[in-house]
Amino acid sequence: MENRTWRALAPEAIASRSFDDELVLYNEATGSTHYLSVLGRSVMLAVLAHPSGVALETLVRRVADDSGVSLDDALAQTVERTLAELSELRLVTSTT
Amino acid sequence: MIVAELAPGELRRRLSGPGLRVRLGPVAAQIRSPFAAVASGLALHYAEHALLDPAGFADFSVSVDPPFGVRRFVGRQAFFKFDGMARFRPLPATQAFPLLEWGLNWCVTSHSHQYLIVHAAVVERGGRALLLPAPPASGKSTLCAALVARGWRLLSDELALIEIGRGSVVPMPRPISLKNRSIDAIAKFWPDATIGDVVPDTLKGSVAHVRPPVDSVRRGGETAVPGWIVLPRYAQGEATELVAMSKGEAFMRLVDSAFNYSVHGRAAFDTLADLVAACECCAFTYGGDLDEAVAAFDDLLDT
Repeated sequence: MENRTWRALAPEAIASRSFDDELVLYNEATGSTHYLSVLGRSVMLAVLAHPSGVALETLVRRVADDSGVSLDDALAQTVERTLAELSELRLVTSTT
Repeated sequence: MIVAELAPGELRRRLSGPGLRVRLGPVAAQIRSPFAAVASGLALHYAEHALLDPAGFADFSVSVDPPFGVRRFVGRQAFFKFDGMARFRPLPATQAFPLLEWGLNWCVTSHSHQYLIVHAAVVERGGRALLLPAPPASGKSTLCAALVARGWRLLSDELALIEIGRGSVVPMPRPISLKNRSIDAIAKFWPDATIGDVVPDTLKGSVAHVRPPVDSVRRGGETAVPGWIVLPRYAQGEATELVAMSKGEAFMRLVDSAFNYSVHGRAAFDTLADLVAACECCAFTYGGDLDEAVAAFDDLLDT
């Protein structure tokens, strides 16, 4: 697992609302609105909970705890892919 | 004073001269037009709407006019004008009244940014509003007319005006616009409906308008708290089905259906999120059986 730290790109610009296991977000920095289903919601909320940044390993563990999915490489890869998508949406960013 | 209290000659005189100033829900419109079809359409469909002081303020000053200059030789055409400026390409003069209706919709969606405006029909019963957001051809106006025929109060068949921060829906009861087969369907389903002339060959096909019920117009100042968001889909021959849908999906559909979401940004997000949180959200499919459709919506009242 790579050693990156992830954080919300502009947490002060993000408004969010949970509906059961879905999350909708408004990013004032881009004017875009996003819909995240279970996994995306879990990852995004975990990132938002750590404004100063959170390690990928910690994120994966939290997602496993949230979703009841076993903690393994497949989950880690899925979380990484999700983070990459959230990064493309300019919701999160990473540092090494 | 209401429009019906004007003598026909006086209505024509105002329309051809200083303008007819009429209340359309929360806005005042000043309307001018020399076309007889506009006068008869207003007399029929806006009979119960309040007339306003001719010298008072109007949010929109609009007209439906014949062409000027050489264009007047190119068949009979009608121009929709806002503040004296033509806003769209002209349409045949036979479409003068539908053009006025489409133009008024444009005025509201382009200028009434004190509201969050969602492309949706809205009806109310028991103090709660039912929002039917949908793209064209989804059967939204047909359903709206059917529900109004069975006692739901009409707030709008086209534009949900949502108060930012509060989430209440502000009524704008105007004629219900029907297209093509839905005209006959509603004429059969609602024999007492007052339906205006069918105008053929418009960009939307044949169009006719249903006069809004007197009670809906008189209660045009009563806002309603949203209780349900239902996304309708007409699919000929399919069974009537009302099923729960996720609030997240309903939220995104409302965002997609909002005309001025980007104008309000964060406030629009918060308003819609609060609205969705407070509402039951469903998807509705129907194949044309309006009795079944209305029964399904009446069942919502028990939830």
